[in-house]
Amino acid sequence: MTGIRRGAVALTLLGLAGLVALFWLSFFWVSTEVTQGVVQRIFYVHVPAAWTAFLAIGISALCSAVYLWLRDERLDRAALAAAEGGLVFATIVLTTGPLWGKIAWGTYWTWEPRLTLTLLLWFIFAGYFMVRNATEDPDKGKRFAAVVAIVGALDIPFIHVSVLWFRSLHPQPVVAKVEGPTLPGDMLATLFFGLGTFTLLFFGLFLFRYAVEGLRTRAELRTRTSAA
Amino acid sequence: MSAYVGRLSAIVRKDLVLELRSRERVASMAAFAVLAGVLFNYSIDTTRVRPQDVAAGLVWMTLVFDGLLGVGRTFHIEAQDGAMQGILTSPTPKDAVYLAKVIANFVLLYSVALLVLGVFALFFALDVSTNLGWVLLVLALGSLGFVALATLFAAISTGTSMAETLLPILVFPLLVPMVVFGVGSTGRLIAGRPFSEVEGNVRMLGAFAVGAVAAGAVLFRYVVEE
Amino acid sequence: MIAMTLRPVLRFARLPILAGALALGAHMLADPLVAQEALPGSQMARQSLRPYWHVFAAYAIVIVLIGGWAFSIARRLRSLEERLVD
Repeated sequence: MTGIRRGAVALTLLGLAGLVALFWLSFFWVSTEVTQGVVQRIFYVHVPAAWTAFLAIGISALCSAVYLWLRDERLDRAALAAAEGGLVFATIVLTTGPLWGKIAWGTYWTWEPRLTLTLLLWFIFAGYFMVRNATEDPDKGKRFAAVVAIVGALDIPFIHVSVLWFRSLHPQPVVAKVEGPTLPGDMLATLFFGLGTFTLLFFGLFLFRYAVEGLRTRAELRTRTSAA
Repeated sequence: MSAYVGRLSAIVRKDLVLELRSRERVASMAAFAVLAGVLFNYSIDTTRVRPQDVAAGLVWMTLVFDGLLGVGRTFHIEAQDGAMQGILTSPTPKDAVYLAKVIANFVLLYSVALLVLGVFALFFALDVSTNLGWVLLVLALGSLGFVALATLFAAISTGTSMAETLLPILVFPLLVPMVVFGVGSTGRLIAGRPFSEVEGNVRMLGAFAVGAVAAGAVLFRYVVEE
Repeated sequence: MIAMTLRPVLRFARLPILAGALALGAHMLADPLVAQEALPGSQMARQSLRPYWHVFAAYAIVIVLIGGWAFSIARRLRSLEERLVD
């Protein structure tokens, strides 16, 4: 337990320091993108948040699948912690994306495939928690939520292909693509720094959240034994 | 193997006979389809939009909502009189129970889909005759994918305190591929385009349906275990 | 029944509502029409400042959401530890 806590503290502190550095890098260091101007700097938190959200559903689904197989409570706790983080980071993607889009494309919302995919991912996470909260029997809730996470993760490739195809059917306003091999070195460096920072922060807070769930199980066990 | 198929078909037969006798779900689903067509007629400004252009979308939206209405009640009878316990404690494998439910639901939804297609063709003057075979195939694949997901999640939502209200929240995000590929191919087929133009859509729809059935068959046992 | 159904929805709507309020704040601050109808020159200046507001709002959202998550975890951790001590 203490090992987890120590790891959580270390990762979170590293992540927070990284976040401060990332803010400094993206405000003062990185050069301004030529066509989009200053608003493109949202990129350095937007993309890492998206990466983290999809990492979260992957971890959540993987832990859920192994939980259904081995029935180790720790795996369910990990799946829950990852899903909660995923919900937070997906929310960041969904709010920073429109802020960027309003300047870059002139509209808050477009059916840009990756933005749409993140919206649906957000609802998958929301469904995960609604299922958990709406069951009286906690074990049943855990199994139900695990199935939601697994099916959600399996469906994501399909959703991705479909929203891409949908866009190819309907011409969209020209979307400036900032990704790709053409990204200048300092922007690429800042992006990778952001990806690392968000991943560290995610895992730090993930471990904390995991520890909370462990304590909750112990507390509930104690109330049950003292009541009996 | 034959014992497996025998048990499976016994559940399918039981469900379909029950449905044929009571006609509860099929009647409400059919009425829903026709009435949705009537309401859609008044929700389109026909001086601006040709109904034929949006008909494919209307057909699929009606199918999705109608499907939720029907499939959401898959486990209703079992949950009410404790018959689920009987099925699950019987030696029938859980995936056979799931597949049987999917087949029964598919028969139900596909017949409603045919009705929707017929009624909408009548209401909105659609010419479905040129590609009728392909349209029927697309509707079949879409119905199968829908039923596979919705049956699994109907088992989940029946077990929660939110019951049917939870089902659309869980299923709609997952149904996006089905709607995109289904509407994309149906729309072009109805417009008389050749099948080769929508082949990719139909293949993806098929892959989606097969994946949904496989995932449901594997995961169903974890939903219903006691 | 309605309250029961809405409760979890509201719980999960909390995050986007908060973030949305922030975004709306940035929008109001940045939108020249909402701010005031001023001289064309200063309006131009405001217009060109707008991307900056959006960047600040986006970075503020990052701080608020990650900080909020960290804070809520810390609160739960503390209350559980107190429960386990007595």
